Amino acid sequence: MTAYIVRRLFATLPVMAVVALFVFFLLRFAPGDPAAIIAGEDATAEAIAAVRGKLGLDRPMVEQFFVWILQLAQGDMGVSIFSNLAVTRLISQRLEPTVALTLSTLFVAVALAIPVGVVAAWKARKLVDRLVMGFAVLGFAMPGFVLAYILIYFFAVQWQLLPVQGYRPIGEGLWPFVECLILPSVALGVTYMALIARITRASMLEVLAQDYIRTANAKGLATDRVLLLLALKNAAVPIITVIGIGIALLISGVVITETVFNIPGLGRLTVVAVLKRDYPVVQGLILVFAAAKVLVNLIIDISYAFLDPRIRY
Amino acid sequence: MSANILEVRDLQTQFNTLDGVVRAVDGVSFDLARGETLGIVGESGCGKSVTALSILRLIPPETGRIAAGSIKFEGEELTTLGEEEMKRLRGHRISMIFQEPMTSLNPVLTVGTQIAENVVRHMGVPWRAARERACEMLDLVRIADARRRLDEYPHQLSGGMRQRVMIAMALSCDPQVLIADEPTTALDVTIQAQILQLMLELKEKTGTAIVLITHDLGVVAETTERVVVMYAGRKVEEAPVEALFTEPLHPYTRGLMRAIPRLDIEADAAGTRPRLQEIPGLVPRLTQPIPGCAFAPRCGFATGRCAVESPPLLDVGAGHTVACWEVDRVRASAL
Repeated sequence: MTAYIVRRLFATLPVMAVVALFVFFLLRFAPGDPAAIIAGEDATAEAIAAVRGKLGLDRPMVEQFFVWILQLAQGDMGVSIFSNLAVTRLISQRLEPTVALTLSTLFVAVALAIPVGVVAAWKARKLVDRLVMGFAVLGFAMPGFVLAYILIYFFAVQWQLLPVQGYRPIGEGLWPFVECLILPSVALGVTYMALIARITRASMLEVLAQDYIRTANAKGLATDRVLLLLALKNAAVPIITVIGIGIALLISGVVITETVFNIPGLGRLTVVAVLKRDYPVVQGLILVFAAAKVLVNLIIDISYAFLDPRIRY
Repeated sequence: MSANILEVRDLQTQFNTLDGVVRAVDGVSFDLARGETLGIVGESGCGKSVTALSILRLIPPETGRIAAGSIKFEGEELTTLGEEEMKRLRGHRISMIFQEPMTSLNPVLTVGTQIAENVVRHMGVPWRAARERACEMLDLVRIADARRRLDEYPHQLSGGMRQRVMIAMALSCDPQVLIADEPTTALDVTIQAQILQLMLELKEKTGTAIVLITHDLGVVAETTERVVVMYAGRKVEEAPVEALFTEPLHPYTRGLMRAIPRLDIEADAAGTRPRLQEIPGLVPRLTQPIPGCAFAPRCGFATGRCAVESPPLLDVGAGHTVACWEVDRVRASAL
């Protein structure tokens, strides 16, 4: 197992290299020029060229790439073109809100979707199941930002139960922190919840038809043990897989949700950096997102081995 | 205390299908004495497994139901028993082993856990004690190195071993009745003999009565004391095992006997043996009520009455009953 993990970690290096290559050149081939933005709307061509020279953007692209890679190898992601702050510092400042939002969304979605999916499978084709699956279709079809505004309207504006927007670091107390995360987590999590609930139901239905469930019933085991331990553990692999895929969905969802709820996280940093063509910041962010994705995949692959003894690495 | 531990009377189990109501079990009755081994034989689809599942009330409620009849266990009516009481009975006082040892065990739990959970559930003992019991049971079904095997998963065991685990599990709470639904069908012949031998030995030790469901008359001959023959959801004949093999009285039972390959029949000069005699025709569809004898369309003895009037079970003495109008003609004919 350890050997497998080490091997997988080494295998991420080429993946990250490809990501780095693509993000670097795609950004530079995309229209838009940070030097022109810095120099201002009325700037002359000479002024723009001067800014470009100062930023090192006039050097051959391949040279710029290798300079960046060498920096990266030393743990340096470069400096923001606009704020002159180190990219690593910018990202680490914005990391907490995004991680908090992602984890709380994940928690809300998984904690609700799995029980709901299990109940739907248990009561398959009955009223509960139809209701649950109806809501799942609705939840899946509704864009997160639409739901976000609906939630804000009722919970924050009409009933004033929760803040409209904003973020409070966990250092300022648990309730203020949680309070700010509830609406964004629900808004971001509903699509995700619908997806996991559907997969849980499908996977459970398949498992419940298996011979070993009949054996469990012939042993007179309690329904909760049969459903929650025996069946769910067998149904877990596809569910975990979808949770993993969903994390990729979350990363794009975070960008929108942070904007709607005015949360100072990586998503908003990304939007601003992309609009301004702040190359070093965008590159750094994409690498961080890619690394997160690769790590999540690794965790998921490892979890398979714990869930199903037939899987060995 | 009645001599019979299980009494099934006029059991009718039906399933709703797209083609209509299937009468999978249509008025079956039989008794099981304490410590007895009863065989239920018949071809695929004759309702023998459904009978077994009905006794444990494991018929999937979405599609099937026990429509009528009575199942008494130790004098207690099971068809109307509450689900919770039924759960306390299953795996404890009546347990069951299934045909497919490859798929009947949960792949993600160790065999130790799967045996112990039964013990914890029904004996109310802590897990540690239940594990000890599981270890004893694995020893009892002669799995070598039982303590190490406790922590293995089903995929690490062979088919025969898995069936031993199923038996260990089924017997872990000392049930009064063990229902074995084709327990050896999926196994190699040599393993089959071992498993049957093991079941009989354990029966001697524990006094558990066994209902052995099989389509294999050889298995019946070797292991059971009494046999119920089923056809199209009905009981057509019941007899002590010797009587059934020496003088089968139902034309269907006779057909089954003739379909057994035999090595004691000499081959002719060309080296060919006489062709096995199959029973002509097909099993009737069970979606329509069958007014007469279900076997009549395939029966060489059938008369006009057989097609319209269902034959009652006729007691021919010494515990031998048969449902056939033409039993005297059948008896007179050569086997």
